[in-house]
Amino acid sequence: MRDLFVAELRRFRICGLAAVLAQFVVLGFLARMVDLAQQPLLVYRVFGAVYAVAGLLLGLYQMGSYRRPNAWLNLLHRPLPAWRIALALCGAGIVWLALAVALPLVIIAALQHGMTARVVDLRHWLLPLAAWQLAAAGYLAGGYAMLANRRWSACGLVFLVWLLLADASGGAALAVQGLALVWLALLVGIAFKPDLAAPPRRAVATLATAVPVQMGAYLLLLLLGFGIEMLWIAQGSHPNNTATPPVGGHNEVERMAPAARLLAALSASRDAQAPLWREQIALSKVYALGVDVPWRLERNALTNHRPMGFEDAQRRVEWIFSHDRMRYEGHDLGTGKRHGELGVGSDDGAFPAPAMAAGTLPGLAEGDAVLIAGNTLYHYLSETAQVWPRLRLPTAELLLATTPVGEALVVQSDHALYLVDNGALAANEALVQPRLRLAIPGRQGDLRNIDLIELVDGYLVSFLFSNQSHELTGVAPYQSTWWWRDDGHATEVAHRALRFDYPAVYRYKAWWPSPALYALRVGAIGLFAAPDPLVATTPPPVPRSMWLLAGLLMLLSALGAGWLLRRAALSWPARAAWVIACGAIGLPALVSLYLLYREPT
Amino acid sequence: MNTPASDLVIETRALSKRYGRKLALDALDLAMARGQIHAIVGANGAGKSTLFRILLGFLPPSSGDARILGCDSRALAPADRGRIGFVNEEHTLPGWMRVEAVAAMQRHHYPRWNERAYAEVIGHYHVLPEQKVGQLSRGERAGFNLALALAQTPELLVLDEPTLGLDVVAKRAFLESLLYSNAMESCTVVYCSHQMEEVERVADNLIVLERGRLLSQSAPDDFRRRVSHWVADVPFQGPAPASIPGLLETRRLDGLHHYLVLDQDAGFADFLRAHGARSVQSMAVSLDRAVNAVLARNHAAPAATENAV
Repeated sequence: MRDLFVAELRRFRICGLAAVLAQFVVLGFLARMVDLAQQPLLVYRVFGAVYAVAGLLLGLYQMGSYRRPNAWLNLLHRPLPAWRIALALCGAGIVWLALAVALPLVIIAALQHGMTARVVDLRHWLLPLAAWQLAAAGYLAGGYAMLANRRWSACGLVFLVWLLLADASGGAALAVQGLALVWLALLVGIAFKPDLAAPPRRAVATLATAVPVQMGAYLLLLLLGFGIEMLWIAQGSHPNNTATPPVGGHNEVERMAPAARLLAALSASRDAQAPLWREQIALSKVYALGVDVPWRLERNALTNHRPMGFEDAQRRVEWIFSHDRMRYEGHDLGTGKRHGELGVGSDDGAFPAPAMAAGTLPGLAEGDAVLIAGNTLYHYLSETAQVWPRLRLPTAELLLATTPVGEALVVQSDHALYLVDNGALAANEALVQPRLRLAIPGRQGDLRNIDLIELVDGYLVSFLFSNQSHELTGVAPYQSTWWWRDDGHATEVAHRALRFDYPAVYRYKAWWPSPALYALRVGAIGLFAAPDPLVATTPPPVPRSMWLLAGLLMLLSALGAGWLLRRAALSWPARAAWVIACGAIGLPALVSLYLLYREPT
Repeated sequence: MNTPASDLVIETRALSKRYGRKLALDALDLAMARGQIHAIVGANGAGKSTLFRILLGFLPPSSGDARILGCDSRALAPADRGRIGFVNEEHTLPGWMRVEAVAAMQRHHYPRWNERAYAEVIGHYHVLPEQKVGQLSRGERAGFNLALALAQTPELLVLDEPTLGLDVVAKRAFLESLLYSNAMESCTVVYCSHQMEEVERVADNLIVLERGRLLSQSAPDDFRRRVSHWVADVPFQGPAPASIPGLLETRRLDGLHHYLVLDQDAGFADFLRAHGARSVQSMAVSLDRAVNAVLARNHAAPAATENAV
């Protein structure tokens, strides 16, 4: 085995060393231009995709060179177990990927750590590991695509899709990658046998192969649905693209300007003051509240959604948040030299959660900034280079945004709106207490718009919950309008239910092809990930029509399985298991059964 | 004479392999005894390579059984593979490796490695240890492959058209290095080739396959003797081909009728005379001609007219 391993290492030595050098040159060049540790998510995704594709190509090439019948026979017909031969070949490929992908990243991180004042946290040191795991996953998927029977060999790509969509971050993301690697390695091990075309025989091997094949079939069904949607859009009757949206639906409201949206929300009001409010809407400025921190910030997340720093133009200092220190670390924009550390208060204490700059506010001095970390709003004072907490929400809430509204500041969390007097914020550096609180009448993941106007005696606030209403995860769309009074009371003055613009068969298109695989998909994407309150929704129960459709497909799948298995060389328990699986999983299981056991032509 | 099962290196029973509607092997019953050189001949598509792939466990049979060195071909253990050498026509060796590295790898993999046998065979070729396999000529690669296979000290050596594509010199070098190797003494050889002169030279037992079926299994000379060449001076047309017993091939050259026939004795001369032959002459044929005539007789012929030999 060692000889094969060394032979494969030597085989790719020129390409491997060229890749090491190329990646080092590219990273070195980029590191001179930008801080690679503080790039937006898209940049990391592009790098990750390049590594995965490089691994995929290596796997395809290496295994492809052995795939021809005589070459395969020559490789495997020797007194070594097939798994040891596989280990030797894959071990060499994975070692080269470690050298070509991870080593230059480690060197660049070390250079950045040792020679610049830029922040290099533990999470950045873990990026080479993540990059290597992505490349290795691509490599094993490519190897499997080349070795396994062509009818189902592409199913290894499902794991790359999984890694793209997985919610886990930090160490949990590495664990998800590790799990995908183990599964892919198992698949390659199963495929690595003399008869490449044969389906897996043992129950564990069949299960390990059938699940990704079924998930691949499920994803293809979703892609087919996406293709049909493209035709629907081209045809011109898609609710999102018609010149006039369907009346009374959520699309109509989503497309409205804030004032029109508020008026539409009030149309359902029976409050005596509604006519007066309508007049005021026409005369007042309508505030559409936005979100400054649209993502949950997790400590030690491997990547940033956006750079975690801000510039103090007065001091010519850039402050970058360090997850290790839970403080900002500064460097001089002119010289690049280290400029000290920035924590909370006069003793520079650690932030309780990763902080994100959220611009500035009226009344703050030039160079000052607003920072949001967890449930707390902080004020950075340029003059003293200090950070002070100014507003602290309940512990269970996440502070998401601040919007100046007249003389006040509306602060939005994932649970409520708060009203703070702007004057109090500007007056001193003490913690301020919100004057008013209005609980948001829905879940953050469903919330699409908040529109607000000032009234003489308070505020009129309208919430639109339709963010996911085109999907099965979204709430039944509605507008909820509240009279938020200065005395602290709040009353819902209008509740307007909106129609779904999309038929149930469209909204549940991810569910009815296979409720079981939909559940598996949700579970896999959320594996090891902490619950995210920012995407939490309140989906309605699945309509009976969708249950019937899914049930009918599952029944047909079970019958189809019985028909397909009539000539298959399988034991009775295996046949029964397949029929039950097709009945429980539906069409994707039937497709996998057909692919795995169809008679070769 | 029946050979005891333990003395068989290869044994198939009703072995069939179907690719869609095409039968590559058709209920093949085969038994090859230990300690001989068996030659397998057959036209392209006769099922030779399919048979080897099934025997080595790289292809599942559609039905029937295949055993090699007494083991079920579908359940060959690594140790069993160590007892079987295999040389294919492509000589697929890793082109990026040096000769010495390949030899070292095989040396480590095969516990019964015979360095003397390796040196003996490789000595027939001008192959340098530091050369890359990809730089070797086809003939050198074939010789190197043979040296590796023989040095494994296999109990059974399968050679699947090993001289295909080699020039005359390389073929001769290959055969000589095979025949004069001491390692050959202890192993059974299955030699598949289209080259009848090679078969005639090396084989103790000739197996003829046609369209996945066993056509004949005998000593090469026995097979050759079954085919005879008759020249008859027959005025006009001579007998109708359909009426000629065992006819493999007929031609008319210089006014004389030439007949290649199978399994005909002196009585065939009487048959020709009965059909107006004024003179009849019989002569032996080469193995090459005998095999070619037998294999060619059913080309483009409807399946219904096929006759078992």
